[in-house]
Amino acid sequence: MKNTGFYLSLRIFWYLVVIFLYLPLFVVVLFSFNEANTAARFTHFSLKWYGQLFSDDTVLGAFKNSLILAITSSAISTVMGTMLGYGMYTHRRRRLGWLVWLIYLPIVMPDIVYGISEMSFFTSIYNMLGILRPGLGTMIIAHVSFQIPFVALLVYSRLVGLDAKLFDACHDLYANGIQRARFFILPILQPAIIAGFFLAFTLSIDDFVISFFTSGPESTTLPIYIWSAIKKGITPEVNAIATVLIGAVLAVAMITMAFQYVRSASTTSRA
Amino acid sequence: MAAMPNVEARGQATFDCASEAAMAAETKASRATSTVRLIGLTKTFSPNIVALKGVDLDIPGGEFFTLLGPSGCGKTTLLRMIAGLEHATGGEIEIGGRAVTHIPAHKRNVNTVFQSYALFPHLSVRDNIGFGLRMCGVKKPDIQKRVIETAKFIKISELLDRKIDQLSGGQKQRIALARALINEPDVLLLDEPLSALDAGLRGELQIELLRIQRRLGMTFIFVTHDQQEAMVMSDRIAVLSDGHIQQVGGPKQLYERPDNLFVAHFMGHSNLFPIQKHDANGVYTELGRIVGRFESGTHMLIRPETVTLTPGQSEGDNHLSASVVERIYRGSVAEYRLNCGATELVAKCNNCGQDMFEVGDTVTVVVETDGLVTLNE
Repeated sequence: MKNTGFYLSLRIFWYLVVIFLYLPLFVVVLFSFNEANTAARFTHFSLKWYGQLFSDDTVLGAFKNSLILAITSSAISTVMGTMLGYGMYTHRRRRLGWLVWLIYLPIVMPDIVYGISEMSFFTSIYNMLGILRPGLGTMIIAHVSFQIPFVALLVYSRLVGLDAKLFDACHDLYANGIQRARFFILPILQPAIIAGFFLAFTLSIDDFVISFFTSGPESTTLPIYIWSAIKKGITPEVNAIATVLIGAVLAVAMITMAFQYVRSASTTSRA
Repeated sequence: MAAMPNVEARGQATFDCASEAAMAAETKASRATSTVRLIGLTKTFSPNIVALKGVDLDIPGGEFFTLLGPSGCGKTTLLRMIAGLEHATGGEIEIGGRAVTHIPAHKRNVNTVFQSYALFPHLSVRDNIGFGLRMCGVKKPDIQKRVIETAKFIKISELLDRKIDQLSGGQKQRIALARALINEPDVLLLDEPLSALDAGLRGELQIELLRIQRRLGMTFIFVTHDQQEAMVMSDRIAVLSDGHIQQVGGPKQLYERPDNLFVAHFMGHSNLFPIQKHDANGVYTELGRIVGRFESGTHMLIRPETVTLTPGQSEGDNHLSASVVERIYRGSVAEYRLNCGATELVAKCNNCGQDMFEVGDTVTVVVETDGLVTLNE
């Protein structure tokens, strides 16, 4: 019985974690439906902030930019990251320690360092050559470069977990290089590739620091818009944007899970 | 697929065969020439690691041939080179009279059953078995029909719609076999396919593999480190050690007439005694004098089951006096460790009703000269 106090404190700790994690989200969602222009008290339920949001061209523009940036960069980094992960796997026997370091460095590099160096790099390229003007293009390049290691890592760990003899079996069963990619490597990597895409997508859609330093005047994304908006105070409109983002993230997560579920169910029934 | 017209053509030809017997007969006829010849085959992994040091082998079509040796002897490397999964550093490989040394694995009509089974986890059992035919461009209905025929032949029809992770080791083994056999390869390669199974299932599958090989008349090349398994299954065995072939022969020949000490030890428990002196009437060893006419050699081999034990002491040529040091009861046989002359000897006696000797008993070891072999180091 002497452990009761210990378990009680663990329990309290757990409640505190849940409260600090989810109560702010709940408050944001709640006050996005508040009629009054204040977070002090909840007056009436109202959708007026959402109406205001969806008629605001700046917000809509930022939303569009965020989506373009996230979808384009995730698509590119999924393809490149998958190739990188596969390459790391096929050459894993060679001594590639330093190369792997180069690949993983962006994961541990502080975003602020990365963002500032990308900014000065793009600016000097633009000043010298007149190309790569800061804007969506430079943001996509920056996002792709920090997303690639995450995708590559997912793909690589999936491949390392496989029986290496499967590649031999493919070769032994008459598959040429293209057939091996199409009938073995891509299907077996499919879960890792999909997970990689959505991970890259979520990294991109909520990135502020790197986006901020590499963006141009016409390429404001939602996080950048929110940052500039809250300088004037937290308005219910910002709460509404956050709520939309929460909804979008939940939807993506649910789509991923549904997809995995359908996939695992279909393997049994497919004859 | 132009590189493998024979697979396609044979696929169409056997596809209509209704009965297994017809299928077996047809494949037997078409397999008369699928011999395997290895000429001076070498494999070097890095300047210091030489896996194979010039291997010459002739494996006639339709033979159940086993590569036997301890781990690291190069047997799996040799098998992978026949499959095309490993490039030869030197030498030639011929399959069915055709040089295939530089032909990649996917263009060789040879299939492998892997030790880890290597079944594709993303495919059903049905799609695993049909994988090879699919890669060769065989039409879907034809694949379906042949998968069903093969599954019936291997007795796994009820498993076809399972997922790979729902199978036991023995079931996976059968599916791996079906996945290889459905392609009707010239040669089937088996890389320690039974080593992950428990003893009972293993014995069962040994006999079954042998039956399948006999029915198909296909050349099987089997790799194992288990000399019992090799003797049960093989027409002929090549014993490998350290990248060399030590001896090639039938199980009986290897067991009873080994060429050297390594083969004698590897094929089963051996009493080996250095020959001290050799003359026209016999040899001298630590056991004493053994009378008989023997070929020259450095060692005398006495297999434990070739000697007879009689109680007490008796006189005569090749009657050796000994005492029992240890007895191990093994059911059908009793194994005795004996003190004999200046050395030890192991004898195995059949248990058919007679009394066993006790530790400390004095016995006479009667050595039959028929069971004796002289061999070189």
